[in-house]
Amino acid sequence: MFSEQAAPTAQGLLAPPSAEPPTFPRVPVSGYSDCSQPFQLGERSFSRQYAHIYAVRLAGMRPGLERCARKQWGNDIALRKLSELQAGEKCCVVGTLFKAMQLQPSILQEISEEHNLVPQPPLPKYIQPSDELMLEDELQRIKLEGAIDVQKLVTGTIVAVYGSEQDDGRFLVEDHCFADLPPPLPWNGPSSDRFVLLASGLGLGSVSGEALLSTQLLVDVVTGQLGAEGEQSCAAHITRVILAGNLLSQNTQSRDTINKAKYLTKKTQAASVEAVKMLDEILLQLCTSVPVDVMPGEFDPTNYTLPQQPLHRCMLPLASTYTTLHLVTNPYQANLDGVRFLGTSGQNISDIFKYSSMDDYLEILEWTLRAGHISPTAPDTLGCYPFYKSDPFILTECPHVYFCGNAPHFQSKLLQGKEGQRVLLVTVPDFSATQTACLINLRDLTCQPITFSGFGADSED
Amino acid sequence: MADELYLENIDEFVTDQNRVVTYKWLSYTLGVHVNQAKQMLYDYVERKRKENSGAQLHVTYLVAGNLLQNGYVCHKVAVVREDKLEAMKSKLSTLASVHVYSIQKALLKDSSPLYSTDYDIVKSNLQHCSKFSAIHCAAAVPRTPPDAPRAPAQSQRGPDAASVVNGHGPPAARPPPQQQRGIMGMFAAKAAAKPQDTPKETKAEAKEAPGVSATSSKPSIKNSIMNNFFGKAAMNKLKANSVPEQLKEEKEVAKPSVAVAEPESSPNSVAEKPGKKAESARIQQKDKRSKTKRTDRSDDEEERDPENVKKKRKRIKQLQSDSSDEEDIPPSPTREEERAPSPPLVPALKTELEPASTEGSAAGRKRKRKRVLKSKMFIDEEEGCMVTEKVYESESCTDSEDEFPKPKAPAPNKQPVLPAKREPKEERKNLKKGAAPVNRANKQASIMGFFQKK
Repeated sequence: MFSEQAAPTAQGLLAPPSAEPPTFPRVPVSGYSDCSQPFQLGERSFSRQYAHIYAVRLAGMRPGLERCARKQWGNDIALRKLSELQAGEKCCVVGTLFKAMQLQPSILQEISEEHNLVPQPPLPKYIQPSDELMLEDELQRIKLEGAIDVQKLVTGTIVAVYGSEQDDGRFLVEDHCFADLPPPLPWNGPSSDRFVLLASGLGLGSVSGEALLSTQLLVDVVTGQLGAEGEQSCAAHITRVILAGNLLSQNTQSRDTINKAKYLTKKTQAASVEAVKMLDEILLQLCTSVPVDVMPGEFDPTNYTLPQQPLHRCMLPLASTYTTLHLVTNPYQANLDGVRFLGTSGQNISDIFKYSSMDDYLEILEWTLRAGHISPTAPDTLGCYPFYKSDPFILTECPHVYFCGNAPHFQSKLLQGKEGQRVLLVTVPDFSATQTACLINLRDLTCQPITFSGFGADSED
Repeated sequence: MADELYLENIDEFVTDQNRVVTYKWLSYTLGVHVNQAKQMLYDYVERKRKENSGAQLHVTYLVAGNLLQNGYVCHKVAVVREDKLEAMKSKLSTLASVHVYSIQKALLKDSSPLYSTDYDIVKSNLQHCSKFSAIHCAAAVPRTPPDAPRAPAQSQRGPDAASVVNGHGPPAARPPPQQQRGIMGMFAAKAAAKPQDTPKETKAEAKEAPGVSATSSKPSIKNSIMNNFFGKAAMNKLKANSVPEQLKEEKEVAKPSVAVAEPESSPNSVAEKPGKKAESARIQQKDKRSKTKRTDRSDDEEERDPENVKKKRKRIKQLQSDSSDEEDIPPSPTREEERAPSPPLVPALKTELEPASTEGSAAGRKRKRKRVLKSKMFIDEEEGCMVTEKVYESESCTDSEDEFPKPKAPAPNKQPVLPAKREPKEERKNLKKGAAPVNRANKQASIMGFFQKK
């Protein structure tokens, strides 16, 4: 994208100074609307039980699943609730999956004295061959076996299974289906090249400074300071920058001060204070040149449960004076120039990674889209607000760009749906580790990674 | 030619000052477009190498282009040393741009000096960091300050400031802009206060007082938020500057004595005034907030205040030595104003202030301040513990008039006046909860002091 257009004037700046260097105006945002209202929480009360969220999830997704079931297995199949099951009868049941995992960390077990358990260290994956799947609906639950991949699926997914109940009380599954891609949105994309830069995991405040030069190079490319004229004019087509979480590094999360004596730690400052100041300066440089959407992530100073609320603007005094700074929720949904974006900072995908046999972030991302829910493992293993009226993580419309942040590598795929949906799936890599960000071209839904590097003592690739 | 000037500049930076000259640093330093800076660097390198092929110049380049990596065609942007330039260019399938990134005398082992040079220059130019860039965004405009109450107060103060005088003008106008501009405001305000000090007339400060009181709460709130981001020293100054507002709101009406004081204080250097105001304000501030902010603030203030106060005091005493009795007479509230606006009026007056406020204790302190290393104990509610800190605290020693431990030239002639003043002052000194430590002046610390909330 960039390179082809910029190539002609690549070496233009290897020359004596010319008279008037051109200044390119930033392509203005023609249509922006923030659609993340469902993720914004006002007054929060945690006095409800989490059972309600499962109830509304099932109620919300049942109609869609019944439709899919009929489409797949015929219009005349019997749709039964678990309480109406008869042994041997082939029918379809819609319910929530529950996976019983032996290794799943359980706080009750940890504090139970009779087990005398040492707290389990965090594992990369908690799956085991002995895991079992159960289907629950509003009233009952039943164990599943048969043509269903126990290792791959996770708790909280709404699924429709087709099979029959056995004599031993288990349900023998012959086939199953998910909600599949949600209905498509009309396409109003721009006709000329417009780019959106997606980056995540800036990791400020970390002990090592390798990524700092790369972060500075990223800011310089976007603000048009770096590069020859061709590249700068292409950079002027970047209409937005979305920072998808983990702006602060995990190092800023150290809680040593809790264990030390008060008199030792009285005057120490949290590591995140310095990191937020650095973030403010970087955001100021970006905001003076391009609209920026800042999503919080796992290590950022905001609430822990999903949906994470926007960072407070008092933390960013320099940058928040600009109207181009938008502090948004995680997950984030918005219409940019007619293209619908939906994405998270990656906690949902990494949580599914831990409890499923799927290894590829892109595969998991696609799977959540097909399952019709952004984060099925919430609230079981991922913190979530106790919704009771409706579950905002259910996908009701198919976005055009679906991304997740803080992935180990960059991957992207253009998915075509049966009903004409076109979705660009992007796993945004962790910038502090890979020094890579993503450039999405809104005109044709293509994505290109952009990598930055300096030079080190150990010369390079 | 003027055009060749940049060559000499770059030469000076690289060879004489031995700097790492990056294109961004050059662009900010010379005030030119970034592209021009890049071209200037290139030009310099070419010429230098032509004239003197053995020149010790190391150059780093920025290369960008398409690269096939991990199955994706990625756009790579890299800073490379000159010796690796060709290798990198050949790796890229399409070259998007190449230009000089930096010039330095020494060979760089890694790119961290480049980063730190850029970081420093951007940090010192944060307010207009996109000025020389090649892309200009029309949508990036700073928000207008949203505080509504401040607006009417400011407009009210606007005409006042013009005709102002007795110091009410400058301090009144100062704090709101300061709150909005944060740390920059402090320096700007000091400069602004100078020209505004010159016009002198007795003013109805009452007019400004309501305006100020409306906004004073806002500044203090904003202050506390801003305070978290600026260093303690800056915070002190910010707070100090907001104090004049608060003082005003406490005081009452205009005093004629103020007008009298004004002309007398005019001979004082204007430059001293803002500093003095800030100092005296700071001292007030210190008392007020001594409960919440205990630590090094007191150290800073102690060091600065005594000196300045002493200097000012000396001047004032000479001028007003015959009117020392009058000083006691004017209502204490007026003292504050006089003090704030006209530093020469001094701490003596200021201290008399409100009986109701902790100023009394501040006053006492100011009159005879002595830096004493004391242990302050207080209960920290938020953390639920008792904290003992040793701090230098200025303590007023009313029983020993002749002790002026400070080595600065305190006016000896002040001393005879002081005892007279001190009596009324002491009466007014209240044991305000917040100023408890100061109120201990010359009282034997009782055992109950251990349990008092300070």
